[in-house]
Amino acid sequence: MKRRDLLKRGAALAVAAPYVITARSQETLIVNTQGGEYQELVERVVIRPFEKKFGVRVVHDATGTASQDYAKIRAARGAPGFDVAGLLTPPEVILGVKEGFLEKLTEREVPNLKYLWDKTWQVIPGGSGAPHTLQYAALVYHKEKIERPRSWADYWEPQKRYGDKIKGHVINYNPANLLSVYALIHGAQLGGGGVDNMEPAWARLKAQKPYVGVVVTGSAEAVPHFENGQVWISPYWSGRSGYYIDRGLPFEMLIPQEGVIGLFDVACVPVGAKNKKLAYEFLNWRLDKEVQRQWALAYFTSPTRSDVTDLPAKFAASQIVTREQMAKTQFPDSDVIGARRKDWTLKWQEIMA
Amino acid sequence: MSRTPWLLVAAPMALLLVFFVVPNALLLSTSFLKSEAQTLTGELTLENYGFLFSKPIYQWAFARTFIVGASVGLLCVLLGYPLAYFLVRTKSRWKGVLIALSLAPLLASVVVRTYGWYIILNRFGVANDLLLNMGLIHERIAFMPSTGAIIIGLAHALLPYTVLTIMGSLNGINPNLEQAAMSLGASRTRTFFHVVLPLSLPGIAGGFILAFSIAISAYATPAILGGPATQVMATAIYGFMTQLLDWSIGAALAVVLIVSSVLLLYAASRIGAKQAAI
Repeated sequence: MKRRDLLKRGAALAVAAPYVITARSQETLIVNTQGGEYQELVERVVIRPFEKKFGVRVVHDATGTASQDYAKIRAARGAPGFDVAGLLTPPEVILGVKEGFLEKLTEREVPNLKYLWDKTWQVIPGGSGAPHTLQYAALVYHKEKIERPRSWADYWEPQKRYGDKIKGHVINYNPANLLSVYALIHGAQLGGGGVDNMEPAWARLKAQKPYVGVVVTGSAEAVPHFENGQVWISPYWSGRSGYYIDRGLPFEMLIPQEGVIGLFDVACVPVGAKNKKLAYEFLNWRLDKEVQRQWALAYFTSPTRSDVTDLPAKFAASQIVTREQMAKTQFPDSDVIGARRKDWTLKWQEIMA
Repeated sequence: MSRTPWLLVAAPMALLLVFFVVPNALLLSTSFLKSEAQTLTGELTLENYGFLFSKPIYQWAFARTFIVGASVGLLCVLLGYPLAYFLVRTKSRWKGVLIALSLAPLLASVVVRTYGWYIILNRFGVANDLLLNMGLIHERIAFMPSTGAIIIGLAHALLPYTVLTIMGSLNGINPNLEQAAMSLGASRTRTFFHVVLPLSLPGIAGGFILAFSIAISAYATPAILGGPATQVMATAIYGFMTQLLDWSIGAALAVVLIVSSVLLLYAASRIGAKQAAI
C-alpha cells in the first residue's frame, strides 16, 4: 500500500470513528453499581433481565463507593464514563444537584417515580434521582458472645451493659462512612442532642474509645472482623446484615428502642452521560414493581415503592414497608450532614487518633 | 545547532506538560480556592493552608509522614546493606537463586504483603498469641493501628528496592582497591569502614532516597496498618478528595506534601552528592 493510500484510509477511519462509537452506544449502557459480593446479585436480579427485556448490553462498572463515584463525576465535569451512577447516597445527590452534574428527572423520563414514598423528596431534591433501595443503620451483635442489646446506649456505653469482657470487641467507623455519621447522631440523641448538637456524641465516643478494638472506614472492611469473632457489637447496614446472617454469620440484627435512621441508595444520570435515553429506561426498570420485590428479597432491603406489599411476613417485619414503619424511620437532613461532615470527621479523628 | 535533540525530547516534554505540569498547576490553583459546603467557589483564599497548619491532627499527619519516611529509609539501609554486601560478595553457586529470593517479595502485591503484617500484628494476631503463650504478656497488646506498624509494613515492602540500589553501587567498586588496602596492612573491618563503605555511599543515599520518597507518598500500607485514626498525608489527601469531597483542603494538603518532599529530596541528594565527592 502506498503512503498516500494509507493516509487516505486513516483519515476516513478518523472521520467515521465518532459515528461507529455513537452507533454502538445506542445499545450499550454503562452502569456503575454494586461490586464485591453483590456483583453477582445485582447482575442476576437487575442487569441481566434488563438486557434481556430491552435487547441491549450493559457494561457493569463495579468500582467505587458513593463518594468515590461522585468524585469521578465531579472530576470529569459530569461525564465520568458511565451512564448511570447507580449507588449514590443523599449527600452526594444533594451535592450533585447543587453543582449541576446530575440530570433532573420527571415522570416523563422515569414514569415509575410516581410510586415512590411521599417522604422520598423530603430526603433528596425532587427528581434528582431514582431511589431504588431503602435500608437503615441497624445494630448487630454476636449472639454467641453477648446478650441481645436493647438500646443504642449498649453500643455507645458497652461497659455499662457488658462489663470489661467487651474490651477490644467494639468496632467504630470513620465518619467518611454514613454508617458512622448515623451512629454518632444516635449517640448525640441519647444525650439530648442531634445533627445540630453533636457534643453528646463526642462525649460518648471518648467513653467508648477504650473498648474499641477495630476502627475501619468501609462497611465491607468490617466483615472479616465479624467472621473471626473479634467484633461483638456494631452498627451495620440492614441490607448487609441480613445478607451475611443469612449466610451463617452468628450475628443478629435488631432495631434498638430509640429507632433507626434510614438510607436511600439512589441511581442518577450524570449530565454528560452518552446514552441518556437508555439510562432513564434503566432507572425506570430499577423501580419496576417486580424488580423492586425481587431486589428487596435478594439484598435484604426495603423497596422504595410504597405499593410492594406482598413480601413474606417474617421478612417484612425487619423492613420498612408500611406507613407506620416509614413514619418511625428517621431521615436527618443530608444537606446539613454534607455541610458538617468535615468538622465531624476532624473531631472524630482528634478523639480516635 | 541541530534541531534533532529538541525533536527527540519534544514528545516526552509534551507528555510531562500535559500529564504532570498541568495537573499540578490545577492542584496548586485549587488549593487557593475557597470551598463552601463541599463546593468550590471562585474566591481566592489562604484559609485552606491556615486550616491545615492550625489543626494538631494534620500537623501530626505531616510529622508522621516524614517520621515514617525517614524511619523506613533508615531501616531499609540498615537491613539492606548487609544483605546487598553478602549477595555481591558471595562465591556460592546459588548466588543467582539467593538474589532472586531476596527480590521475591516484589512478586506479591503490596496489599497482599501488608495484609500478611495485619495477620501478624492485630490484637488477635500471631504476635499476640505467641507472646501470650510464652507468658511474656498477660493482656493482648494493640500493635496496630500504629505508626510503628506502618513503618514495619513499608520497610518490608521497600527493602528489595534498597538492596538493588546498594548492590549496584557495591558492584561498581573495584575489588583491587580492597586488596590493595589489605596488602598494606589494613584489617577486613578497617578496609570495610575506610574503603568499601565510603565508596558505596552513593548507593546508600540512593537507596535511602528511593525508600523515603516511596514511603512518604504510600497509601495502601498506611491505610491498612494505620487505619483511619492514624493518618499520614496520603491517607488524609485521599479522605478529603474522595470521602469528604472537600477538594480545596485536599489540594492544599497535596501541595504541602509535594513541596516539602521535593525540598527534602533535594537536600538529601545534595548531601549524597557531597559525600560521594569526598
